[in-house]
Amino acid sequence: MANKLLEMKNISKSFPGVQALSEVDFNIDKGEVHALVGENGAGKSTLMKVLTGIHPDYEKGQIFYKGEEVRFKSPAEAQAAGLAIIHQELELIPELTVAENVFLGREPGRGWINKRKLKANTKKIFEEMGIEININKKIKNLTIGKQQMVEIAKAISQDAEIIAMDEPTSSLSQQEVKILFDLIQDLKNDGIGIIYISHHLEEIFEICDRVTVLRDGNKIKEQLVSETDRDEIVRQMVGRDVEDRFPEFDAKIGEPIFEVKNLSVPDLITDVSFQVKKGEIFGLAGLMGAGRSEIARAIYGLYKNRAGDIYLEGKKLDINSPGDAIDNGIYYLTENRKDEGLIPELSVGANMSLSILEQLTFVRGVISKRKEKSLVKDFISKLDVRTPGPWQLIKNLSGGNQQKVILGRVLSTDPKVIIMDEPTRGIDVGAKHEIYQLMEELAADGVTIIFISSELPEILNLTSRVGVIYNGRLQGIIDGSDVTQESIMNLATGGS
Amino acid sequence: MKKLVALVVVMSFMLVAGFAGTAEAYDVGLAISTLDNPFFVDLADGAEEAAEELGVNLTVVDAGDDAATQMSSVEDLVIQGMDLIAINPVDGDAIVPAIEEADMMGIPIITVDRGAATDVAVHIASDNVEGGRMAAEYMAEMLNNQGRVIELEGIPGTSAARERGEGFNEVMDEIEGIEIIARQPADFNRAQGMSVMEDLLEAHENIDAVFAHNDEMALGAIEAIDAAGLSDEIMVVGFDAVADALTAIEEGTLAATIAQQPKEMGRLAVEMAVQLLDGEEVDEFVPVPLELITQ
Amino acid sequence: MENAESKMNFKYILQFLGKFKAGIGLLALVIVMSFLSDRFLSLPNMLNIFRQVSIMGIMAVGMTMVILSQGIDLSVGSLLALSGAVTAGFMAGDGNMVLAILAGLAVGTGLGLFNGLMISKANLPDFIVTLAMMSIARGLVLVYTGGRPISGFDPAFRIIGGGRVGMVPIPVIIFAVILVIGYLVLNKTTFGRYIYAVGGNKQAARLAGINTDSIKIKVYAISGFLAAVSGIILTSRLNSAQPTAGVAYELDVIAMVVLGGTSLTGGKGSVGGTLIGALIIGVLNNSLNLLGVASFYQEVAKGLVILVAVLLDSLQHRD
Repeated sequence: MANKLLEMKNISKSFPGVQALSEVDFNIDKGEVHALVGENGAGKSTLMKVLTGIHPDYEKGQIFYKGEEVRFKSPAEAQAAGLAIIHQELELIPELTVAENVFLGREPGRGWINKRKLKANTKKIFEEMGIEININKKIKNLTIGKQQMVEIAKAISQDAEIIAMDEPTSSLSQQEVKILFDLIQDLKNDGIGIIYISHHLEEIFEICDRVTVLRDGNKIKEQLVSETDRDEIVRQMVGRDVEDRFPEFDAKIGEPIFEVKNLSVPDLITDVSFQVKKGEIFGLAGLMGAGRSEIARAIYGLYKNRAGDIYLEGKKLDINSPGDAIDNGIYYLTENRKDEGLIPELSVGANMSLSILEQLTFVRGVISKRKEKSLVKDFISKLDVRTPGPWQLIKNLSGGNQQKVILGRVLSTDPKVIIMDEPTRGIDVGAKHEIYQLMEELAADGVTIIFISSELPEILNLTSRVGVIYNGRLQGIIDGSDVTQESIMNLATGGS
Repeated sequence: MKKLVALVVVMSFMLVAGFAGTAEAYDVGLAISTLDNPFFVDLADGAEEAAEELGVNLTVVDAGDDAATQMSSVEDLVIQGMDLIAINPVDGDAIVPAIEEADMMGIPIITVDRGAATDVAVHIASDNVEGGRMAAEYMAEMLNNQGRVIELEGIPGTSAARERGEGFNEVMDEIEGIEIIARQPADFNRAQGMSVMEDLLEAHENIDAVFAHNDEMALGAIEAIDAAGLSDEIMVVGFDAVADALTAIEEGTLAATIAQQPKEMGRLAVEMAVQLLDGEEVDEFVPVPLELITQ
Repeated sequence: MENAESKMNFKYILQFLGKFKAGIGLLALVIVMSFLSDRFLSLPNMLNIFRQVSIMGIMAVGMTMVILSQGIDLSVGSLLALSGAVTAGFMAGDGNMVLAILAGLAVGTGLGLFNGLMISKANLPDFIVTLAMMSIARGLVLVYTGGRPISGFDPAFRIIGGGRVGMVPIPVIIFAVILVIGYLVLNKTTFGRYIYAVGGNKQAARLAGINTDSIKIKVYAISGFLAAVSGIILTSRLNSAQPTAGVAYELDVIAMVVLGGTSLTGGKGSVGGTLIGALIIGVLNNSLNLLGVASFYQEVAKGLVILVAVLLDSLQHRD
């Protein structure tokens, strides 16, 4: 018990409509590396945010730090107590030097900065870490791996006793990963507790002592790494009972109609090829940041430096802009409705007719209000958009209804292929169900749908085949009865 | 909304406070080219002082050196029903349409300092001819009516160049011992004044004095003379009394300059306005006396 | 549910009032002024105000489109001066008047187009590109004119700025025509709808298949064209082209647009609002002159009105 550095007991935290954490326990000993794994949305980041004072308003539970009960009110407070968190997005100031970043906000000297001391202190820390680095270099001139080392140095300089690392290896090279692991080993020997969050399961078996699996805000199991294996963890991560909330339908899948060949975008996706059939719902799965949306965006003409070919109905397409894609019958429904979908100050009607406006005219360029109105009314009733009228500003609608308006925009162009990127994100259960229904109706009408989702149950129930993306590559395509959560998770975490 | 109304009301009271009118006094508008320049601020001050003494309601508008703004503000003065408008034009051509509008409403116009390219009731400006004479007389006196003199002229065709030269030469022609050995335009510009003077120093010897149509050219000439090491031998007289020239006089490099009197100009504008409105005869051109400035 | 509904109604009332806020402000200004000066409400003065705002008002129609597309055009004052000077230069002596006007319009439109290309194709910030153009065009005016006004035109040219049809000055008629066209473009055409879409959410407009670059380019070309129209009217009205014409006009023009309720963040606003904004500035300038307020205080008053208007706008949008 003397070894216990941190103990989180029965932590519950909810957001409007979602129980993000329910009665989760988590603890960490001195000199231990404790892995925290789970699917996207399982509650890992919420747990970290509760711990580090970003969400001080958790409803239930207690946190004991070095034997004393604490409730940090702010990240600064947690930091002062010795809790450091290294986020996936590093929080360094690119224009400042290594030394300036390490001691940012805690510069030695009163009023003016004692540069000599600043440099000496920084140097000492890196020497202890055994890392060679030019402390006078600006952060922007360092590799991501080196930047990560600076973050860790910053944590050490604050005398951190617990360091949480969120996906620390996601942008590191093999060599840099090795350096990081050596460093973690050193930190461990110094008695520092490390919380290690990662999707890369093999890493967990390499450096972690214990692993806790979260799923849907619940703690599924805490176990010693030596007493489990990769398959078991994957099962624990995905193994929920899937409710029967998906409509049944018989797919009438036709001949291949859409094909992507050797699609590449430097630094984002590499050599992706697949075929989709008419009336098929083809799933694209993978972890966040794996490159699913990037594939969709590349098809949609959003990257200038795209390589590879796109075929529709046997014809090679020349797509250089979303306009080209739409003209060729391909539409991309963005995952980011707020930033890339809605035009908040325009009405429901104007949002819906936006992509087809050129055809709703009586002479070129002049809108026919009559044609526009009839189209909009049509889709409002077809999609059951709940709005007081087409004139209502779209920003005043609920998320689900906003999404239906954008879907109306998509369908108004009568596309042959629709790429739906997280179409059900941030909308309520009822609207979700309606969107599933719509997808199946569209498929039945011969529309091809490429369906990107992080929610595996959606993928499992709606799609016939699933392409799994890992690290910008198509890791594999799973077909028919082989499509299971385990098979998807296996590929999504780099298995084969 | 309430706040906007409140603001408007408060502002209006501020305005009313400044809008103290007397019943039978003349309403005179004065449209100044720019109040960013001390010369015109003095002009406005002189006019305001005179207006107070004579019991005239004077409204001063400022164009910020923008011809379009000046046109609008003159139109506003016309609408306001001024008895007379005095204009110090930003541009002599651009002000013409506004003057024509005032004409149509029967409002007489006085131009001040700068003229307009159309007929007006009175034009008040410095007496450049007299200024030229003053410069010549001073120079002749200092030279004891003996010497070789150079004249640096302003932009050819401008009234200032023409009139200043006219007065200067009128006096010099009468003095037998003084010879004007060269007349060269240097465009009212300092750099030009310097390079023209350099050429003239090469071409002529035994130069005793230089008269420049403005101070800028005079200061340029001084640079050239200084470079030639002739500072002690050649006296320079300028025109306008700009700040640099006054410094040069203090230092002794410039012998004299002719100062305009903007305050006097403003005062005369209001006095002439009253005379016109009283029905008295007024000359079409009213010269404003100048002042000789020496060390 | 009932509560929510009444809350919604209340919101609509606020929205409705907000829409006419500028109009109410103008009305208040007019009422107060008519008490303070008996000449204010006279027909000649009303026409006078309209004529005075017409030159900046025309530019404000272009600026409305630019700001709606989430841009800003700081170059309009300089483009006005350059177009006026080019027209004057072509005409001085005995150049063809029509040709001269076309040359002036071409210069304004061309440089506007250049602004648009730099902003969309080279992906440079609107503010910087048009700031640079402000300086470039002003420099070109000085080069072209040698720093001196150009005058001496065909007397027929003066009709554009100085003529009247009945009682109505021709610049007012041109302004009215451009306002109506601006309204129709923004409300009845696909191009107008795309301006709102691009300004409201550029990325969303792009993903919806709109060629956002082309919209931006056209909007800046229109702004340049209208600056040229204003420049020609001003040159005609002053019967001379002034090298310093239009200095700092861009700020008054932007003020008109903002006073008219168009949001500087784009996607929201109308030319109707801009007309009201133009009249607020016009009435303010005119009435402060009529009341004989010293010019320095006029600047302060104008600034305060703009500040209050924007403050009210931001208060209304805070939830």
